[in-house]
Amino acid sequence: MRKYGRKTMAGEALRELMELREDPYSRARAWKERTGGMALGFFCCSAPEEFVHAAGALPVRITGENRGVTRSPAHLQSYCCSLARTGLDMALDGSLSFLDGTVFLHTCDTMQRLSDIWRLNAGFVVHADVVLPVRFESESAWTYMTAELEAFKEKLEGLLGPIDDERIAGSIKTYNRNRELLGRIYAMRRADPSVLRYEEALWLVTSSALVEKSEHNKLLEAVVGDLEESGAAAAEGDAGAEEPVGLLGIGSVMDQWEFLEMVREAGATFVDDDFCNGHRYLETMTPEDLPPVEAVARRLWDRSACPCKHVPSRSRAGCIVNRAKESGARGAVFFQFKFCEPHAFDYPHVKKALDDAGIPSLNLEFEQGSVSIGQMRTRVEALVETIRG
Amino acid sequence: MSPQDNRKPGPPRIAATEQMKQLITNYYIEAKTTQEKPICWITSGGPVEFLIAMGVIPVYPENHGAMCGAAKVAVGLAEVAEGMGFSPDLCSYARLDIGGVATQGGAIPGGLLKPDFLLCCNNICGTVVKWYEELSRTWGVPMFLFDTPFIHGSRPEHATEYVKAQCLELVAFLEEHTGKKWSDERFEEVAMLSVEGVDLWKEVLKTAESRPSPFTCFDAFIHMAPIVTLRGTREVVDYYRLLRDEMRARVENGIGAVADEKYRLIWDNIPIWYAMRSLGNLFADNGACLVADTYTTAWAVDIRIDDPLTSMADAYTKVYLNISIDLMLEQLAALMERFSADGLVMHSNRSCKPYSLGQYDLSRAITEKTGKPALIIEADMTDSRAYSEAQTRERVEAFIESL
Repeated sequence: MRKYGRKTMAGEALRELMELREDPYSRARAWKERTGGMALGFFCCSAPEEFVHAAGALPVRITGENRGVTRSPAHLQSYCCSLARTGLDMALDGSLSFLDGTVFLHTCDTMQRLSDIWRLNAGFVVHADVVLPVRFESESAWTYMTAELEAFKEKLEGLLGPIDDERIAGSIKTYNRNRELLGRIYAMRRADPSVLRYEEALWLVTSSALVEKSEHNKLLEAVVGDLEESGAAAAEGDAGAEEPVGLLGIGSVMDQWEFLEMVREAGATFVDDDFCNGHRYLETMTPEDLPPVEAVARRLWDRSACPCKHVPSRSRAGCIVNRAKESGARGAVFFQFKFCEPHAFDYPHVKKALDDAGIPSLNLEFEQGSVSIGQMRTRVEALVETIRG
Repeated sequence: MSPQDNRKPGPPRIAATEQMKQLITNYYIEAKTTQEKPICWITSGGPVEFLIAMGVIPVYPENHGAMCGAAKVAVGLAEVAEGMGFSPDLCSYARLDIGGVATQGGAIPGGLLKPDFLLCCNNICGTVVKWYEELSRTWGVPMFLFDTPFIHGSRPEHATEYVKAQCLELVAFLEEHTGKKWSDERFEEVAMLSVEGVDLWKEVLKTAESRPSPFTCFDAFIHMAPIVTLRGTREVVDYYRLLRDEMRARVENGIGAVADEKYRLIWDNIPIWYAMRSLGNLFADNGACLVADTYTTAWAVDIRIDDPLTSMADAYTKVYLNISIDLMLEQLAALMERFSADGLVMHSNRSCKPYSLGQYDLSRAITEKTGKPALIIEADMTDSRAYSEAQTRERVEAFIESL
């Protein structure tokens, strides 16, 4: 990891957060030890975290790990994505033993079955399924969605006691503040990518689902305040080189930090993304003037198209092309989990929309724990060369 | 020498097969030549009764996919889709269909007829949503998603209400796109015919409880086509009455599908369409009869005439692929018990995650619960590139030997 030499608040806070990358769950484990509270894991970024937070519990995102698997092959076939395979492996080998339970959102066929397998094998006390609608455009779907979220809230109340509306309102504010701060970082980088490396910006978003939110806000405030005041906080050493080619990243979870470093070395940087531990997580605010369940539902409903949701009026290809244009990206990289059906089905038409908009792209498939940076480097360099012309 | 030379003669071919072929041929001819009836492409688990009641011809890409698999043209079509950027890891039904649309090819000359609209029901998988979105873009036609929330354990009331509400939204969608008025009377008529057809299909499947079984699941895979595609019509009722009577006659005369039925097995998952014949022979040669399966029973759901909408919403939500592993285990164990099975054969199908993920746990649980062994075969329903016949033969023979 690079050094954060500056003795400023931002340097300190950034260093503290970046260090978490080496042991992503260390903060959650410490929180658990310190408070004795309930920690609940979740895979999907559509989890209604505000309810969990308001109940005094800690929501923690699980996004698999870069590792081989030893225990999950007894439960999951090899044609299942590595997110599920490494995630289950972590649950089975005790890496997630600080969790009291898990909340599964209905996203894809794999997550749907992983929920069953997890419930039957991982041995956590708490297990919840939140089966949100797949259709996101009808009154009946909206009614169903709010009822399903209400049912989840009631389940939490059964475990942790009543959650009053004021506490939820407080949690909503805390979460919105977090998204706002992260949004400012993304906006600063769109204006000038050199203020912060992309892998740092992306980690700031990723880590926000691993650290208790108000603690995370404090650290982020220090980072953002300093960045806004002085510009490039820790980016010394990146200066002087040719201006990097701006790219848009497209996929679900992006946790390949070595890959991102390689992209930088290849003379490019991501100026924005459509990852669900990136821009897609921070983009929509929860309304603060609605009743709690409706407010949380509203944010999920209004978010830009996730490939697991059917939203006919909101073309995902259109959203992605717009995002590329707004960020000034000159190229795009699809970075997708092997065996991920929702994303793989979307690839051809999204790629075509990018082609039509004159944005060249590259499709890279990966599995956690077995990424070949060397092969990817050649392809990324070729893309950068094409763009530079 | 082919292994066929040593085979003990099985029973004569099922006579009703001719009628079924005629029924399906007529159906495809109508679907290819109709001038006035709208065409709707629909998923295999979809509520087809609504279409029949509105005079819409349902077309099933999955049924066509099975035909392409059996006719061994699936890989060529899938490769077309792969050339268009669709990953070879995607569902092979979807890939071959997308390739078929692009080339107007497949098991039917000229491919399937262009749809006027699409009806996608996600009670079988989430894959169909993505697949039908692609079809909707390619054909430029509207798509109705009939969203059936997955059942993990118990089903909340709001899920049932949601599906019921969608029945009415579907009616409005069909009225808009056919220009026809919905008729409750006509729907009840169709629902009654559907119930009658489904009941007869259940009676057909029930004859396999007898020892020896009059048919194998390989026969059922072929004879399921009408109940999947045309339930709710008079022709289907007539056809299954014929088939049931033929199977009952076999039972009365002690005629078994496998000449010397020693072992009775249950099949799990979609058939391996391109290997049906070789697998059928392999099991028969070893005295094993696959008497039932989790696939063809999926079309044996109940609809109540007194409240068709509620019971349809209920029936379409609780299908085998839309329930959690522990609920599947109960059904699977009951199936083993009812058909006096000696073991379970599971097709781990790389094209179908809702069917296949969880099989490793299920196979252990079923052995624990029933004391019967389970075998897992790794393959793909239509993509023969993912299948090794030699390896499968070896494993099946070892499994049967162990029984």
